[in-house]
Amino acid sequence: MKVLLATVLLAATALQAQPADVKTQTLANGLKILIQEDHNIPNVAMYFFYRIGSRNEKPGTTGVSHFFEHMMFNGAKKYGPKQFDNEMEKAGGNNNAYTSEDDTVYTDWFPSSALELMFDMEADRMQNLAFDPKIIESERGVVYSERRTSVDNNNTGILYEQLRAAAFTAHPYHWPVVGWPSDIESWTMDDLRAHYKTGYAPNNCVMVVVGDVTVERVMELAKRYLEPIPAEPPPPPVRTKEPEQLGERRVTVKKAAQLPIQLIAFHVPEAKNADSAVLDVIDAVLTSGQSSRLYRRLVDHDQSALDVRAFSEHSLDPGLYTFSITPRAGIDPARTEKTLYEEIALLQSAPLSAEELRKAKNQLLTQHYRQLKTIAGRANLLGIYEVFYGDYSKLYTFEQDIERVTAEDVQRVARKYFSEKNRTVATLIPEAGK
Amino acid sequence: MKTFPLILCAVAALNAQVRLPKYTREVLPNGVVVYLMPKPGVPLINFLVVAKGGIESEPRELAGIASVSAQLLRKGTATRTAEQFSNELDSMGGSFRVGDSEQDVTIASEFLKKDFEAGLDLTADAVLHPTFPEAEVKKMVAQQVDAVKSLKDNPQAVIGRYFDAYFYGAQHSYGHPADEASLARLTRENIAAYAKGVYVGKRLIVIVSGDIDPASAGLAVKKAFGEVPSGGAYEWAKDAPVTPGRRLLLIDKPDATQTYFRIAQPGISRTNPDRTTLLLVNTLFGGRFTSMLNDELRVNSGLTYGARCVLDLNREPGAISISSYTRTETTGKAMDLALDVLKRLNEKGITAEQLSSVKAYIKGTYPTQSLETADQLAKVLADIEVFGLNRGEVDDLFSRIDAVTLERANATARKWYGTEDLTFVVLGNAAKIRDSVKKYAPQFSEVSIKSPGFGQ
Repeated sequence: MKVLLATVLLAATALQAQPADVKTQTLANGLKILIQEDHNIPNVAMYFFYRIGSRNEKPGTTGVSHFFEHMMFNGAKKYGPKQFDNEMEKAGGNNNAYTSEDDTVYTDWFPSSALELMFDMEADRMQNLAFDPKIIESERGVVYSERRTSVDNNNTGILYEQLRAAAFTAHPYHWPVVGWPSDIESWTMDDLRAHYKTGYAPNNCVMVVVGDVTVERVMELAKRYLEPIPAEPPPPPVRTKEPEQLGERRVTVKKAAQLPIQLIAFHVPEAKNADSAVLDVIDAVLTSGQSSRLYRRLVDHDQSALDVRAFSEHSLDPGLYTFSITPRAGIDPARTEKTLYEEIALLQSAPLSAEELRKAKNQLLTQHYRQLKTIAGRANLLGIYEVFYGDYSKLYTFEQDIERVTAEDVQRVARKYFSEKNRTVATLIPEAGK
Repeated sequence: MKTFPLILCAVAALNAQVRLPKYTREVLPNGVVVYLMPKPGVPLINFLVVAKGGIESEPRELAGIASVSAQLLRKGTATRTAEQFSNELDSMGGSFRVGDSEQDVTIASEFLKKDFEAGLDLTADAVLHPTFPEAEVKKMVAQQVDAVKSLKDNPQAVIGRYFDAYFYGAQHSYGHPADEASLARLTRENIAAYAKGVYVGKRLIVIVSGDIDPASAGLAVKKAFGEVPSGGAYEWAKDAPVTPGRRLLLIDKPDATQTYFRIAQPGISRTNPDRTTLLLVNTLFGGRFTSMLNDELRVNSGLTYGARCVLDLNREPGAISISSYTRTETTGKAMDLALDVLKRLNEKGITAEQLSSVKAYIKGTYPTQSLETADQLAKVLADIEVFGLNRGEVDDLFSRIDAVTLERANATARKWYGTEDLTFVVLGNAAKIRDSVKKYAPQFSEVSIKSPGFGQ
């Protein structure tokens, strides 16, 4: 009990804050705001989480959410083309954005002196985005270049795309966030306008502000700049559910390559499901650190893989738990695949020792604190917890959620999801002579 | 009117000079330099151990030895097997990362505050008592050879290796990237001998930062590192400058649908007096989203997802290198455009408005990049020590930025951003782009990505 208590106490200070330190308010138009004051450095992280991503798309317009992420920097009414970035950099700030299957997130980092400017510019593009056909054509080229870099000329990228397309047959997680090439080439102005109207309404957004601000000042500016923006009907619900998988699926990609790559995925539940925390523990046991089971077996002992990783998706709808293995030169991917299944079988058949479970939990907890070191890290996690777990304060129960996981849970969850029937295997095979 | 005073305060805050938090520096009798910097906030502590030397200290034929020997530090010590080490580390949820650069090797570890003693013991054990077991060496070397192969499947990452070899040339300390052949020459004997010369008092810097009590942390660090043999002081390499003149290396990757390119010229060292001005000029030219390069190649023309210019800041003069990528068919167009932007900077310089924007940008972004966390601050201290700088590097940064005039910025731009002495490194489908890139330089070489090595 002592060890446990000590960890809990440490964690509380590690977060630098309790849920009470996060102030939250919802504007009349439905925009939810989370604020955490932190005066360590004179800077602010302001994140906008729009609840729209590739899961809200349809065949023919795949990738439009991601394309839109680019268009949000291409001019609105008060601040024209290039001005968002120009004004922001001139005021000492910089920004980025990312799109996932589930959301589109805009990330602003700036000195606290630029707070009002940022509200003005964010409100402008939330309400009055411009749709210039010339700029749209130019940006299409940029997005295609991004696709060429991250998918077409990236072996893991192209294999992952094929893996998802095979694992999901009905649900929108079937298509890539960046979009199919033919859709990138052909979405229209109307597609973009429709996407903007519902996706970028204030009631479809969560704003997170962490850093050198006061709650009063943020709320004053939010009321002035953001509250007048009218609410809109939200994006229609995603109706399609992925049917249960009834047998193993296998795909191959043949491509010029020096080494093969193997991705093996299992369907797992959505982020909110209680089994998510158990899958996190499984992640740590199997692949976190050089003492993890799969590193020791594949990389160290058998020397059959260059690296092995696992990635448990925390998504709005049921997603994938994916193992990624790079077999060593001359190693048949069938061998690393077989080894993986042996290790999974072991996880299913024998309970973890208390030490191994403790180790996994300690790894998860310290990794969690590390993400909270910066204002940017905290803004991101607060938003993720609000959007994916339905409540930002779950960020502060991460610790308890992890501590609750037992060795029996690990066995049960490993048996439930890591089955042959629920499996999709994608292999990149180096093409002979290329 | 209500907001007006607030804005004034805020502007004042932006322009206020940032300063390094309090720290101490002490040189132990054996030469180890110890820095202690308390940075409470999160209950984590960081150890950053820096050994002077890095890539420049590698024997040419054993390229990769700095990195491989550093990665092997945890793979067996006088008192721990590799497995025991990993178990102890992971059980605490600690992190242990090694890295190498042109002038040093770094070992960075992080632990919970409560694990200070155990974390220090583990970190010091790896640095001071590695045994390099034969079996672990063999495993690591074989893995690294395969890692080179895997790297060649990633054009964006691998172009940097070809660039180093071609830009600096085999005679230069930075011009010999580790390849399949040099890695295969690594043995337990040469690794142990190399490491014995590196991890010694006169070459080591130990920086402890985070939620520490400086008094007790200082005692513990002195105890752990005070007994290391002092060894010889490190003699920094002295290389001849990079050969000027236009030349082009083409790397053939027949399946590429995109061309990756670099256009580089000789630049400066980390301590060059022009560095602050160049930081401003290079950021405007290719160091931020609205930079001249990104604006022209991405925003205005849609030719690429990104274009930038990197200013190397190492102990010896490095490169100023433009890098971007574009689809195979637009290779010539994108490279021409990059050269146009370079010419424009050289001939027309920058405006007062641009200069004032970039000054605010550097000042506004610096705290989140360098001063927010204990590990960022440790890196700043390491830089100061390795490059022989002082705390003015941070404490005077803003006043040095303020002092840069438009005249000086433009003179510096003309001086360093020329259009003659350019080295081109281009990776793509040679059959389709060979003819269009040959025009850039009289000196042309071509290599297949399938050949071992990096074109040396």
